[in-house]
Amino acid sequence: MRVVIAEDSALLREGLARILVEGDFEVAGQCANADELRDAVRRRRPDVAVVDVRMPPTHTDEGARAARELREEYPEMGVLLLSQVVEAAHALALFSERPEGFGYLLKDRVLEIDDFLEAVRRVARGGTAIDPDVIAQLLGRPRADDPLSELTPREREVLALMAEGLSNRGICGRLFLSPKTVEAHVKNIFMKLGLMPASDDHRRVLAVLAFLRS
Amino acid sequence: MRGIYVRVLIVVAGIVLGVVAYHVQIDNLGVGTTTNRAAGGVVAAWASLAAGMAIWSRRPGNWLGPLMVATCFALLARQLRYSDDALAFTVFFALGELGFALIAHSALAYPSGRVTDRNERRFLVAAYATAIAFPLAILLVHDEGVRLRYFDPHPRRSLLLISGQDGLARFLEDAYTVVAYGALAALFILLVARRLRRATPRARWILTPVLVGVVVAALWAVYNSVIAFSAGPPPSVSHNIFWWQIVGLIALPVALFFGLIRSRLAHADVGDLVLRLDKTPPGEIQDALAQALHDPTLEVAFWVPERGEYVDAQGRSVELTADGHGRAVTRLEHDGEPLAALIHDSTLRYEPELIEAAAAAARLALQNARLQAELQAQLVKVKESRARIVAAGDEQRRRIERDLHDGAQQRLVALALDLKRAQGNLDGRADPEVEGLLAAAADEVKVAVEELRQLAGGIHPGILTQGGLAVALAALANKAPIPVTVDATVDRLQPELESTAYFVASEALTNVAKHAHASSASIRAFVENGKLVIEVSDNGVGGAAADGGTGLRGLADRVEAQGGRLRIESPSGGGTRIRGEIPCAS
Repeated sequence: MRVVIAEDSALLREGLARILVEGDFEVAGQCANADELRDAVRRRRPDVAVVDVRMPPTHTDEGARAARELREEYPEMGVLLLSQVVEAAHALALFSERPEGFGYLLKDRVLEIDDFLEAVRRVARGGTAIDPDVIAQLLGRPRADDPLSELTPREREVLALMAEGLSNRGICGRLFLSPKTVEAHVKNIFMKLGLMPASDDHRRVLAVLAFLRS
Repeated sequence: MRGIYVRVLIVVAGIVLGVVAYHVQIDNLGVGTTTNRAAGGVVAAWASLAAGMAIWSRRPGNWLGPLMVATCFALLARQLRYSDDALAFTVFFALGELGFALIAHSALAYPSGRVTDRNERRFLVAAYATAIAFPLAILLVHDEGVRLRYFDPHPRRSLLLISGQDGLARFLEDAYTVVAYGALAALFILLVARRLRRATPRARWILTPVLVGVVVAALWAVYNSVIAFSAGPPPSVSHNIFWWQIVGLIALPVALFFGLIRSRLAHADVGDLVLRLDKTPPGEIQDALAQALHDPTLEVAFWVPERGEYVDAQGRSVELTADGHGRAVTRLEHDGEPLAALIHDSTLRYEPELIEAAAAAARLALQNARLQAELQAQLVKVKESRARIVAAGDEQRRRIERDLHDGAQQRLVALALDLKRAQGNLDGRADPEVEGLLAAAADEVKVAVEELRQLAGGIHPGILTQGGLAVALAALANKAPIPVTVDATVDRLQPELESTAYFVASEALTNVAKHAHASSASIRAFVENGKLVIEVSDNGVGGAAADGGTGLRGLADRVEAQGGRLRIESPSGGGTRIRGEIPCAS
């Protein structure tokens, strides 16, 4: 898979490139700012771009804005945003109704190298990777009439991982559960929350996120 | 001293010539004149002399005085030309028509003594040329046997005669009547009307009475020109016209004189000013002076020694470059120190006594007003510096947060990544103790990164920097212990605006959580009429106040420092609504 990295800190950029190469990615471009990113995407057409939200010159949201443009221009390409701080509101504002091929992770998540590489692969394939903190914020939001209170602790864990964008297999790996058990949990969750069972991972993420943001 | 002798000499000459002119008319115009008419003509000339000398002594630098004195002699020359003596006739006939050009000149030069308008200058050149050229031309062709217009049948001999051309002389006389009394006088009326229309309010106030008088005189000239060609007016009409002319000739110098020294008359207004200023609040001193000096455009600027500049009553600095464009500046001093400056209509410059009297009357009030303006100026400075301090503090916080996130945090993450990779590369082949150390180090760095993020967030909310106000408010609402709805329609704004609005919402929500006992709250943020509005409402117990130690005072300070204001509505039992309005450029 071809990946383009946009990160203004040279040290971190190199580090990211190395772990991506070791994770069998082809690093098609390393960019230090948003303009270089646009240029690299146009010329190299990567499967996924890993982009720092803050980049020069103002260090506010250059990366996020460039990513939004590129997502419009190249809907097939995945974009994984790395952010210095994560907020649910920010995530919702950024993926704007289209969590397919989108990722939003706290920068430190790269330190869990395997999970991070898995997230990049997922986004490259058109899946979703939402930071666990964001999901925790969405789950923890006070609700007037809270159907989440009916879930068991284990079911809440499974719901959170679903919302992050993980597939059943991914959930099995994280929670050390058998596929059958996970499937049973998923079925229960959908029933308790009154959601229509979804056939594929994409629709499942959509349904769960839509439920959580409502 | 010499000036006085010169002036006395001029006055004596005027009186002597006047007496001579009277006798010349009585002796030589036996048929056409009476003692009354002769005396009237002389008195009219003397009126110009008196007014001219008076203006000359009061306004030595103003050309209006000499102009009017010259008018007197020209008017006397017009009477002296009736002499039988060939030399006197020739000289005074040549000079006799200058009087009307000088009158027009005086009127147009009023009140400054100078004619600056190009059209008015051209007109005067034409008037002087006509008044000199025609009489000289007539003298060249006038044969003594022919009767001249306005003269009795006695023959007058021109010393300049070249060849007697009766027809030509007659034609020149007619032409002169048409040009001077008809065309030029009509043009003069137009110029005066134009001047009145263009004048500043104050200039019009001064000019109107004088110029209306002049126009009446000019109308007489036009009328005279018309009837000169009719069969000859009946004696009664001719009689009236003569006396109308005399009245006009006397009224004009009197009007010019009083117009120019109106300050003497305006003393009543100034005296009134002294009484009124006693009760005038400093902010209205400008209006009081404008009224007393009859200049609605007058502005007062106060000297602020520390700043070394003039400021208006609101403390804003004022440039004193107003000279020109009908504006003039008068600087007032007190004990040799600048006190204030009046920026006024330039016509006031010709009435220095009036300004001096008004300034003297206003001195005490001006000093008070100056102190107040100084205070205002300091207040403006303080406000500006308060805004700068807040902005600088914000800027510093943002920069520290940025440096932490984009410097230290990035390096630590990179470092941890290297440690992780090192750990992975060893893959069980190394000493388990080394592997353990590496894992512990990587975990330590991770904790450090997390702590650093918390620290940076405490200094300045990073989400505000990278997500903007709407996102940061939504994030704030997500963290609140009660349901909070957010309606924020703002795009990215200047960072200090975003910060202030964010802190208002954040502090207000903290108060809601601590004191309000509310079950829900809402945040609204929008831009309206050039202001960013941030509003936080709850349905709690109310009773919040800015001085209750709730942090609302600090919030209000912050909003006010940016020129905005904070309103708190918190009726007991009726919920709380905190609304901040901050001016924004977009």
